[in-house]
Amino acid sequence: MALDGVSLGVNRGEIFGVLGPNGAGKTTIIRILSTLLLPTGGSASVMGFDVEHEPEKVRHVINMASGADKAGYDFISAKRNLWFFSQLYGIEPHVAEERIGDLSERLGLTKYLDRKFYALSTGYRQRATIARAFINDPRVVFLDEPTIGLDVMTARSIRDFLKDEVRQHDRTIMLATHNMAEVEAICDRVAIIDKGKIIAEGSPEELKRKLGVPALVMEVSPPEKSFDALTQVAGVRGFTSASDEERGLSTIQVVVEDDGSARRAEEAMAKSGHKIIASWRKETTLEEVFVAMVGRGFKEREEQDGD
Amino acid sequence: METRPWLRTMKARALVRLWSIFGERLWIIVNMGFPILSSLALSLLYYSIGATSYIGFAILGGVMVAFWGNVLWSMASQFNWDKQEGLFEIYLTSPASMSALLIGMSFGGIIGTAPSAAMVITVGWVLFHPVVAASWLAVALTFLLTLASLYAMGMTLSSLYLTYGREAESMNNVLQEPVSMVSGLYFPALGAASPYPFAIQAVASLVPLTIGMDALRKSLFRGMDVGSIWPSLVTLAVMAVVFLVISDFALKALESKGRRDGTIAVRIR
Repeated sequence: MALDGVSLGVNRGEIFGVLGPNGAGKTTIIRILSTLLLPTGGSASVMGFDVEHEPEKVRHVINMASGADKAGYDFISAKRNLWFFSQLYGIEPHVAEERIGDLSERLGLTKYLDRKFYALSTGYRQRATIARAFINDPRVVFLDEPTIGLDVMTARSIRDFLKDEVRQHDRTIMLATHNMAEVEAICDRVAIIDKGKIIAEGSPEELKRKLGVPALVMEVSPPEKSFDALTQVAGVRGFTSASDEERGLSTIQVVVEDDGSARRAEEAMAKSGHKIIASWRKETTLEEVFVAMVGRGFKEREEQDGD
Repeated sequence: METRPWLRTMKARALVRLWSIFGERLWIIVNMGFPILSSLALSLLYYSIGATSYIGFAILGGVMVAFWGNVLWSMASQFNWDKQEGLFEIYLTSPASMSALLIGMSFGGIIGTAPSAAMVITVGWVLFHPVVAASWLAVALTFLLTLASLYAMGMTLSSLYLTYGREAESMNNVLQEPVSMVSGLYFPALGAASPYPFAIQAVASLVPLTIGMDALRKSLFRGMDVGSIWPSLVTLAVMAVVFLVISDFALKALESKGRRDGTIAVRIR
């Protein structure tokens, strides 16, 4: 995905989230900053080093990991994999051993270090991947969907580890994800990206606060994919919906400007022939921020791009 | 890159190769067994038709085919496989030297293949007692220079295969059998004893294996010394240097192009 006029600054010692649907341009940002891709225009630097002209210097202070990859050599142990990757940075063998021990212990990997990489479960492979991303004591770490496909407990332990790394070791982490809960749980600041453009930036709390009133959630029957009636209602900033064929209803989350808009949205749905099974107001999340900016949710955006 | 980190990278990559080769029992059996089988089959054929002077060629061919297979399947394809697995991105975003990684792979490959080669020699020697009239210095020099040029060629292919997708594997198949045939792994391919016309001999000479095999046969079975086979030795040395230079150039050029076009980390899904 091409980026369009992206301007970002990440402060030292913070976890900065880049949030957006699949194909929004998150990975492109990470690839440019980690020297895998050259920007066609503009400039980017990491710790003061230009990614285009000083990639070698950048590579000394960064590391990266992608949750989708879990990369390592299958037929050697997790420990030997970690040792190998430490040597790419020229780390003294005894220092590497200490770091492997420390990182493994904190990530709950110690018991599995001698297992061959292919024999590790998804969760432990992912822990090993995260350990690798910190093996060279990097100042800046780029993580692309680091907890994708993990169970809740493993994801939580990895998030706790990331928070510790930033607080205790003065690192900076840039985290590309489409997981809003993850951003809310660990990011100090976040940039929301859509179709290559940054559409909002700030702390998760700030962004949610700007929306003001809680979102309206309605369960309506019959289930549908499009709810055109809502697009005509004044004060409705956007909505996202999910159909549940089994229950025979759709759940619609509507971002509204005020309580009056919420009431009008309910009336519009009733007038359009839908039966409102239940409705309630919910605390604002980053998804509502995205919906307010773009008009639709992540899922609809991805479907739209897939068409 | 400084010397010490460069050496650490090289050593670590060599060890990964060795751990992988010797970490799986099945692989050990396959790596050691296959070169012996083809070598034994040809030795038996030569024996049964009374061409006993060719048995040594078959054993030597078995030794070199082990290295040639390693160059193709574990060197040339390696960066492409690393790219498909997401490992190449890790290399690129680290300060590691790509040349150190490739040279490490080469050393690991040579050391890891040595037991297979030793097995072919031992079994062949015990069963067929080939007649040897060796000039050992010439044999040693030829062997080392052949390996250097072969693995340097593997480094070049590894760099070039980065631009390939699944075709890399097909390319290996294309290279494996025809090169085995024209390079004279099991019979003389150059000079008067060659069954090939001059044009094929000339093309085959572009592969270090052909020059190396010819010089090895001359030094091992005909007792020709360094003074007699020096043109082959110089050719192999030049080939090694040229392939190293091409590999380094190709890696830098492809990295630069890949970063510009956004293809450096693109994989087949």
